[in-house]
Amino acid sequence: MSTRAAAWPAGGIQPDWTLTVLPSTQDESGRDEPLGDLDDRRLVELCLAGRVDAFDVVVERHQRVVYQLCFRFVRRHEDAADLTQEVFLRAYRGLRRFRGDATLATWLHRIGVNVCLNKVAGRKVPETPLDDAPHIPAAGDDPAVSFAKAREGARVRAAVARLPRKQRATLILRVYQDLSHREIALALGTTVGAVKANFFHALGNLKKILAEEASAKP
Amino acid sequence: MTHLSPDQVVDVAEGCADAAVAAHAARCASCRAKAESLLDAVRLAESDPPVEPSPLFWPHLAARIGNAVRREGARVPFWRSWTWRLAPIGAAAVLMVAIGIGARVWPGTPGGSPLVPAMPAGSPAQAAMEPSADVETADDPSWLLVSALSADVSVEEAEASGAWPPPGGADKALLQLDDAERMELARILRAELRTRGPVAPQGPGA
Ligand SMILES: [Zn+2]
Repeated sequence: MSTRAAAWPAGGIQPDWTLTVLPSTQDESGRDEPLGDLDDRRLVELCLAGRVDAFDVVVERHQRVVYQLCFRFVRRHEDAADLTQEVFLRAYRGLRRFRGDATLATWLHRIGVNVCLNKVAGRKVPETPLDDAPHIPAAGDDPAVSFAKAREGARVRAAVARLPRKQRATLILRVYQDLSHREIALALGTTVGAVKANFFHALGNLKKILAEEASAKP
Repeated sequence: MTHLSPDQVVDVAEGCADAAVAAHAARCASCRAKAESLLDAVRLAESDPPVEPSPLFWPHLAARIGNAVRREGARVPFWRSWTWRLAPIGAAAVLMVAIGIGARVWPGTPGGSPLVPAMPAGSPAQAAMEPSADVETADDPSWLLVSALSADVSVEEAEASGAWPPPGGADKALLQLDDAERMELARILRAELRTRGPVAPQGPGA
């Protein structure tokens, strides 16, 4: 392709498109690097150059956190898997818009929050926690203790689901997805100060909801 | 006494408050209590452990997403499909038009009409219009353009090769030719037809 490109005469008939040079996957010594060894930025470059297999690596690398993010919002395994697929499809379609001012993980979180909030918008919070994810109890766990932990977890999850949208998203990203306040600000398109304030109110409301539930039960 | 704002309480709870904020927290029981309450709520939230599906689930999910992404790639936008899949037909149409124009403007050609104003003898455009018997087209950039446009390239192949024009790029390349360049294109196409065998009945060199 490069010889053909060089054949265009200066000032002659010039196409108004340019040839894309496929980014090399070779390291400094000229050896081919496995895709799995490349960082996210290089994988994105390769995806943009048409290497779908590079996107497979992106998926393998980030599917777990994206799934867990989605599960925090929808609390149903099948829904979380569907939403995870939706997040990656949107990311693939919009890869050209990934500017690299945030990490790929933060960008995926941003897409994930939007997809999940749209999905749960208008949906009534279920009375009983839905949790059909296949949990694997740690080996040697006392079944009674495991059951109590699972119940407490479900209670907290239901309370988180009742938080206002922004507080809920902030709490999920900070506590469960372990994003920094700055990363959350990038993911939610807001300021670090606003993220911290939302986090403060989310935690206050979470305690309040759990206390109300506890007092309502006989 | 002004107490800490919510974001400052978060900083105190997370141990990253600046000196002034930390100093206030050290001497204000009310703000310290708020920070403690915050940490308490974080511990509560953390009592809901992350979901861990079976390890077998991840390859399944990755494959499912990979398939969806490939289906997405196969859903070719309309402009791409007609520009490229019909490229050979388009090239043939350009060829016929070019030959038609050639038939009408070449001096002495039966059916020629004064569609194009007469140009001064010896001008580049006039030279380009002169039918030439010994045309060397192999390395001619114009011919390379035509070859590129008419090559039977599938979208997938073109994408895989990394070469891809923007929407309408190929069409624009043709439309942007001026009269002289179109004449030159006609000449090259005619020469190519001559070297490749059967020539369209209306071709000037037939
Ligand atoms: Zn205070």
